[in-house]
Amino acid sequence: MATRNRTLLFRKYRDALKSVRAPSASSPPSKSSAGGPVIELVSTTLLNQNRSYAPLSTEDPGNSSKGINPITVGLPPAWVDVSEEISANVQRARTKMAELSKAHSEALMPSFVDGKDKQHAIESLTHEITDLIKRSEKRLRRLAATGPSEDSNVRKNVQKRLRRLAATGPSEDSNVRKNVQRSLATDLQSLSVELRKKQSSYLKRLRLQKEDQDGVDLEINMNGSKSRYEDVDLDNMIFNEHQMAKLKKSEAFTVEREKEIQQVVESVNELAQIMKDLSVLVIDQGTIVDRIDYNIQNVATTVEDGLKQLQKVILLFILFYFGRENSEKGRHGNVCVGASYHVLCYVGSPSN
Amino acid sequence: MVLTSSARDYINRILQDISGMKVLILDSQTVSIVSVVYSQSELLQKEVFLVELVDSISKSSEPMSHLKAIYFLRPTAENIQYMRRQLASPRFGEYHLFFSNIMKDHHIHLLADSDEQEVVQQVQEFYADYVAIDPYHFTFHMPSNYIYMLPAVVDPSALQRFSDRVVEGLAAVFLTLKRRPVIRYQRTSDIAKRIAQEAAKLMYQEESGLFDFRRMEVSPLLLVIDRRDDPVTPLLNQWTYQAMVHELIGIQDNKVDVKSIGKFPKDQEEVVLSSEQDPFFKANMYDNFGDIGMNIKRLVDEFQQVAKSNQNIQTVEDMAKFVDNYPEYRKMHGNVTKHVTLVTEMSKIVEERKLMSVSQTEQELACNGGQGAAFEAVTNLLNDESISDMDRLRLVMLYALRYEKDSPVQLMQLFNKLASRSAKYKPGLVQFLLKQAGVDKRTGDLYGNRDLMNIARNMARGLKGVENVYTQHQPLLFQIMESIVKGRLKDVDYPFFGNHFQQGRPQDVIIFIVGGTTYEESRSVALQNASNTGVRFILGGSSVLNSKRFFKDLEEAQRVARSSTSL
Repeated sequence: MATRNRTLLFRKYRDALKSVRAPSASSPPSKSSAGGPVIELVSTTLLNQNRSYAPLSTEDPGNSSKGINPITVGLPPAWVDVSEEISANVQRARTKMAELSKAHSEALMPSFVDGKDKQHAIESLTHEITDLIKRSEKRLRRLAATGPSEDSNVRKNVQKRLRRLAATGPSEDSNVRKNVQRSLATDLQSLSVELRKKQSSYLKRLRLQKEDQDGVDLEINMNGSKSRYEDVDLDNMIFNEHQMAKLKKSEAFTVEREKEIQQVVESVNELAQIMKDLSVLVIDQGTIVDRIDYNIQNVATTVEDGLKQLQKVILLFILFYFGRENSEKGRHGNVCVGASYHVLCYVGSPSN
Repeated sequence: MVLTSSARDYINRILQDISGMKVLILDSQTVSIVSVVYSQSELLQKEVFLVELVDSISKSSEPMSHLKAIYFLRPTAENIQYMRRQLASPRFGEYHLFFSNIMKDHHIHLLADSDEQEVVQQVQEFYADYVAIDPYHFTFHMPSNYIYMLPAVVDPSALQRFSDRVVEGLAAVFLTLKRRPVIRYQRTSDIAKRIAQEAAKLMYQEESGLFDFRRMEVSPLLLVIDRRDDPVTPLLNQWTYQAMVHELIGIQDNKVDVKSIGKFPKDQEEVVLSSEQDPFFKANMYDNFGDIGMNIKRLVDEFQQVAKSNQNIQTVEDMAKFVDNYPEYRKMHGNVTKHVTLVTEMSKIVEERKLMSVSQTEQELACNGGQGAAFEAVTNLLNDESISDMDRLRLVMLYALRYEKDSPVQLMQLFNKLASRSAKYKPGLVQFLLKQAGVDKRTGDLYGNRDLMNIARNMARGLKGVENVYTQHQPLLFQIMESIVKGRLKDVDYPFFGNHFQQGRPQDVIIFIVGGTTYEESRSVALQNASNTGVRFILGGSSVLNSKRFFKDLEEAQRVARSSTSL
């Protein structure tokens, strides 16, 4: 697959054009010599990567809106921090998942040591991971919140909306947010699925082990009961004691295992709930919502809706003011209110 | 290498080395190019959190410096203008510019001039300038496709734009394949010759350095042919899955708009039919309607099994399994619904429009002889009230194309009947078609009655009986491919351009149909490739036709031709 890099040529042109531009900007002879801009020119190209300063503005009278480089002013919006926090959680959960796998396999290995701490480790790891996922999911929901807060002061509310809608593309940032949310939701869902799979395989192997254990116990039981009907023998008596001890031990063991299984089942349920919530956010692959062109079209319509909203808000504003006037003035206000109601209704209907 | 995976690779490479949150900006053409090979969820995985069109992104001035901007545009004058404005007041932290085709120096100059803030990090040419709808089928979205039917004098600048777009797109295909082809074209078509000429100029002269790839033993072949040499294929009703959906409902960029079928929630108003993403579709897209019905029934049965087991949840384990399998289950459900909806709707249309009888006559007109019987059949169908206008038109056209010289009186009768029956029929359209694509204009042996070999073959087929009367038609393209495989494509009909020459047969062949391809033809190509003859074919066109679009092109061309002669 051929490609061609035009960056060098582009930079060559860019630098050449810059040197043509800069001297002409500082044309007044009283200014410090042409050497000034040239030196600064060099420093700007060297410090190209660093964007935290305003580059030389060419005093071109045509560019009235130059001034501050918008790049220096723009800080990422607050929700970016939330998304980074969630990403970090996902990473942490992944590492813990690896630890959990190890803990699972260790616990399943036959050992003569009482596996209580191993169980404890597994429990706590599982809880931690589930906790991380739940917390992340809650934060994720907050990522979606967009609209203005419910403010009892209507005027402030309207003003805020006006300012917001006037200053920004009403849906671009919300689109980015939505997409970040989707991406994180996908990550969380795959984490949940992975955790569930690990748990269920652990459960299964646990059950198998338990059965084996029971099977062994059963055998011993049978032998034990058989021996009861035989001649009372010293050996048999001892065997009986052994058998009782083993029985007790296996009973305790069983109870232990049952508790574990119960806990695993609980976390399975928790995760199922989370998965259900997440599946609303996650994109179904291969369907129309997974198409880039479909998503672009949706942006277009939400921009339109935003404009309609703007119209409504403006008229609400007018109406509100006229309403206030009305309460202060009297008759005149009524007419104005009536008029603005009329206009509002007109705009309210689909104007296409 | 197939084009779908190459286009994907290009996009992967664009996204891979740029870290952090990104916004991807496309134009109306590159949206299609990207959408058929890359999904929204894949973009999200690569941290592309916003996708916008280049014209709408300039409407807002909200700075978003935490995003890096990646532009993937066609290098048109209009796009360069948009870019200039956006570079002059940059909104994003970094700018990475990718163009889908060769840029003019002049454009690079303009961009460099606007980049006073030095936000541009790279400018690259990544040659994904075609819509790769299937592995061996690509298209361009030519807006005024009909222009190829008109002589250059009518609208020279429009024709130049058409030709430029085609040549650029073909160049991109070969740059993707990293090969430089030998070029042949259909002798009787001026536009094919022109495109061959301009493609040769671009690849061998203007940008010969760029195309100077390592020469293999055998060069690939670019064959440029004209739609009008086979006007029959786009007129026929189709009975294989993909082609049928396009004919009866319509496919655009692998999407089907089902709003006409019924009321759906917003996110189901369109469905995706992509062989790359839907294994059931991939397995059935070239099968005929009867087989599809059976396979869908099997699919539904499978699904019902899964659904039933899902309802039978008794133990915790069952519950766990359900939760585990839920995403799969949902996907399966969506897929089954999609196919069932499409097939049900198509069955309904077949019923309503009596397409079985219409199509039978069509196939007779396209494949077998018997002028008298044909005339009778067409007349009967014209008299039938329940036959749609569109079907009447296509029947008369098919008859005219075949028997235009045989019996002028009867032909006239059919024209008159058509005009009287169909209110929306633009008079003279059939005659216009004949002027464009009549027997005098055609090179290929469309009905297999010119060439002795073809006549013999047809007779053999007739004696053997045809497996399925509805799919007996073979597009002319099939014959062309066969000739190429045998190394016997006639020079006199498809000459080499200039001093190009090729001994023996090529291994890679790109066939470009000026005026548009059909899904029946892309099926033919896919089946040909599957038969492993040692020659690999890729098919491309200026658009993907069905009968409706073909009619529209004819009507547009006729309208413009008329208004220009009246000047």
